[in-house]
Amino acid sequence: MSTSGSIDPGAPEVAELATEVEGALLSAENVSKIFGGLVAVNDVTVAIPRKKIVSIIGPNGAGKTTFFNMLTGLYKPSRGKIVLDGADITGHRPDKIMAGGVARTFQNIRLFSTMTAVENVMVGQHARMRAGLIGSILRPPRVGREERGTREKARDMLGFVGLETKTFDELAINLSYGDQRRVEIARALASEPRLLLLDEPTAGMNPQESEVLTTFMKRLRDELDLSILLIEHDMKVVMGVSEHITVLDHGEKIAEGDPATVRANPRVIEAYLGKQG
Amino acid sequence: MNVATLPPQEEIRTTPVSERLRKFFSAYGLWIVLLGLPVFYGIKDLQDEGDLSRLGNNLFAGLSNGAIWALIALGYTLVYGIIELINFAHGDVFMIGSFVAVGMWGTVGLALTTGTLGLIAGLLVTLIVAMVVCGTMNVMIERVAYRPLRSAPKLAPLITAVGFSFILQNVGIVWLGSSQKGVPDLIKAQHVLVSVAGIDIHNSDVLALAVTAPLVFLLTTFVNHSRSGKAMRATAQDPEAARLMGINVDTTISLTFLLGGLLAGAAGLVYALYQTNVWYFQGFTAGLIAFTAAVMGGIGNLKGAVIGGLIIGCIQQISDNRIGAQWTPAVVFAYLVLIMVFRPQGLVGEETREAG
Amino acid sequence: MSAINSNLESFRNWKHANLAIAVVLIGALAIFPLFKPPLDGFIDDCVLALAYVVMALGLNIVVGFAGLLDLGFVAFYAFGSYAAGWFASDFFSSINGEKGIHIGAGTFASTLPGIHLNFLLVLVAAVIITSIAGMIIGLPTLRLRGDYIAIVTLAFGEIIGRFAVNGQIGGFKYTNGRQAISPVDALDLPLLKEFDSAFSIRGYYWVALTMVAFSLFVNFRLRDSRLGRAWIAIREDEVAAVSMGIPLVKTKLMAYAAGAAFGGLSGAFLGTYFNSVNANQFQFAFSIFILSMVILGGLGSIWGTVLGAITLSFINSYFIPDVFNGIPGSLGLDFDLTQLSFGIFGFLLVMVMILRPEGLLPEKRRRLELKEGIGADEAIVEVRA
Repeated sequence: MSTSGSIDPGAPEVAELATEVEGALLSAENVSKIFGGLVAVNDVTVAIPRKKIVSIIGPNGAGKTTFFNMLTGLYKPSRGKIVLDGADITGHRPDKIMAGGVARTFQNIRLFSTMTAVENVMVGQHARMRAGLIGSILRPPRVGREERGTREKARDMLGFVGLETKTFDELAINLSYGDQRRVEIARALASEPRLLLLDEPTAGMNPQESEVLTTFMKRLRDELDLSILLIEHDMKVVMGVSEHITVLDHGEKIAEGDPATVRANPRVIEAYLGKQG
Repeated sequence: MNVATLPPQEEIRTTPVSERLRKFFSAYGLWIVLLGLPVFYGIKDLQDEGDLSRLGNNLFAGLSNGAIWALIALGYTLVYGIIELINFAHGDVFMIGSFVAVGMWGTVGLALTTGTLGLIAGLLVTLIVAMVVCGTMNVMIERVAYRPLRSAPKLAPLITAVGFSFILQNVGIVWLGSSQKGVPDLIKAQHVLVSVAGIDIHNSDVLALAVTAPLVFLLTTFVNHSRSGKAMRATAQDPEAARLMGINVDTTISLTFLLGGLLAGAAGLVYALYQTNVWYFQGFTAGLIAFTAAVMGGIGNLKGAVIGGLIIGCIQQISDNRIGAQWTPAVVFAYLVLIMVFRPQGLVGEETREAG
Repeated sequence: MSAINSNLESFRNWKHANLAIAVVLIGALAIFPLFKPPLDGFIDDCVLALAYVVMALGLNIVVGFAGLLDLGFVAFYAFGSYAAGWFASDFFSSINGEKGIHIGAGTFASTLPGIHLNFLLVLVAAVIITSIAGMIIGLPTLRLRGDYIAIVTLAFGEIIGRFAVNGQIGGFKYTNGRQAISPVDALDLPLLKEFDSAFSIRGYYWVALTMVAFSLFVNFRLRDSRLGRAWIAIREDEVAAVSMGIPLVKTKLMAYAAGAAFGGLSGAFLGTYFNSVNANQFQFAFSIFILSMVILGGLGSIWGTVLGAITLSFINSYFIPDVFNGIPGSLGLDFDLTQLSFGIFGFLLVMVMILRPEGLLPEKRRRLELKEGIGADEAIVEVRA
């Protein structure tokens, strides 16, 4: 297994990376994940700057989702360290990381299908709510206000992601595919994240819908001051929206840089098209 | 079921505090706990009596008793391996097996006065009848109560299994009443056949091992080498793929229930001869003990079920003899909880599709 | 816009309707015993039914809301009953130099040795004991899948039943085993004084009814709260739930604790009502009895659970012993139908699961899950696969 030093051709890039990690909102430093004997992610370093959209791309099985799951705490990294805004969050529980401001969506939509759209988004605010067991039973004014506020905010959020008002109280399972994607994003946004992780959000969308989503991501960055980390297959989306791209293949980082640099990198082309000749 | 993308459940982190403890226990804990009892009493015996014959007797009785649990545990493990269902009614199928056996040897005319040859012939007939009845019944229960729910959430068939368990218990009550019923001691169960190094070998021990060993051998041979056995293993690994490969999954599942039922029937006969009494409630306790054995061995694993059965038999004997029979169920269930929590993949821990 | 308004309107109406139904129902239920003889057998059946409603509502929180199949609910019945046995009888007769400890106990009970607390304090003790027990029993199941949870809780139920039967460890005697702790102090509350249990059980009926109203209130409040949504989220998809910021351990433990508390409440009441606490009561079959109520009514459905509990309770205490018991005899069969009540419940479980898995009064979410097989453990399989 090669180290990151041998991947990057020049020393300056490494230095640049180090400075990036410094001021980053979230950084993964030399993280690896090993399942049994299988190395799913090997020694990957990625830094996500504030208010930027960055992407991770790579062929199927490159370890992108595994990497995501480490960032959100679903998996504990076998090696390496994850730092959120200066605090080491390696090995923290997913709900803690979520409360710390990292929200996500899933590759295969995971809405609570027997809840309505609004209820789903209300669940997203769980970490921002206070009511406990006793409070929920006695429902003092404070809890009542919180409950109403949560519901209101959920509706606002659904409006913000462009869901039609008449579908707010539909069960999630009865929503169209595109709307389910929207609700999932609204659910993540409702937690007031600083960083939004989107796992293949355009999967199953037609070009127009992808276009709308691309614009929407930029809006999120500009209006809500969000950082976004995107896993994506659709190169048009990735190249159009990302300010920085990291390429994974077989669990290793093989390239990174701005869209133009990555597009021109022979190793990236090779990873996507296979070895020629 | 692609291994490359498989994040094992252990990796989903929910309780980091207990994790280190859990890892330690899953590596060594179960063995320590299992060996704890015999080692403790072994040392105690050496101090008090100067030899190990009491412990030896406990362990040997445990093995023969455990042979019965092994037969039942195989039924749990077969079924769980193939459809991931805890067949809660299995213990009660075993109970019905005992009742059929008792009824059958009455019909055949076996009595305390029957000669040895007649006894063996009669018991063989009884064995076959009990096995066939239980096997058929198990297949029918699957058809009625589990198959319609195969696509439902997993808890649904578990609930119907509990329901069937109660139905069978009530069949038992109607059949032989609600109290324990003594049955003729046909094989003179407690007669000491031979004594080796201070360990008494009773008729009942010989019977239990003589019935269990060949059946286990036949079963493992069947599962490992026959065409249907291969179909079973394929279905257990991946039902969808098996179906695509042209395996009739429904038939294979029925076959699994048949095998489990056959073994339960055999265990029923052995139990009746061994304990010389039967009771409608015997299946509930036996079922839980055998299930513990199956989990201890690693559910879905045939060899594990047998080993688990034998170990549970030993634990039970030691507990009966030393701690007091009134605590034995609590001891066994405590083991069940410990295993479930700290080593759900069991002792013979090859990670099956379902471990964890 | 009008669509939302009418939606909201119907939502509000529906809520009001719910409330109205509850008020009218409870009012009618409260006065009906006055039209019956004070020691009427039917009131007796009703008291039992109400106590079981409380228990079933508790189990519904664990199984129906949070989706944790608990087969050892009898443990909380036991703890609750023993709270009554320990703290409202002469069981610990040697305590305080055989003078006993009395806090708010009735005039007669105040003269007896042993611990004698006021009924309300006994309830508090029962709730505390059972919610702690619920969390302790829940703890080992936190990482387990549905069917393993079922078996571990069952094993705990059996272990606790075993402890109850055996009654003592070493020299310390903590239950009377199958001999029963008896007598337990009679109900003694300020307003109910005039209804002495020897002459009237109306007082018990009203206490039970109050407990049901309280349980319903708590159930509705919890269902429509942050916690209720978190339970449903966990039931549907643990991974998504934890990724949305729901702490699994805490949330599950709260479900166990809340559910167990109702078991304890009802158990303490029943101990008082039966006037004795016998280890024979605490068997696996009882867990299934309560579970059948929840399943028959509809998992997760509060009114369904109430209906299921009342139905099964009356089948058990009225129809089987009093109405249908002549049937086997008239068919020339020689057995006692009451022995078969659990076979009947088992049969009901099988039938309900196959024919109408969503129960009599289904909850809309659960109907989707049970009918179309969405949610539940599917999610976990997905993560592994």
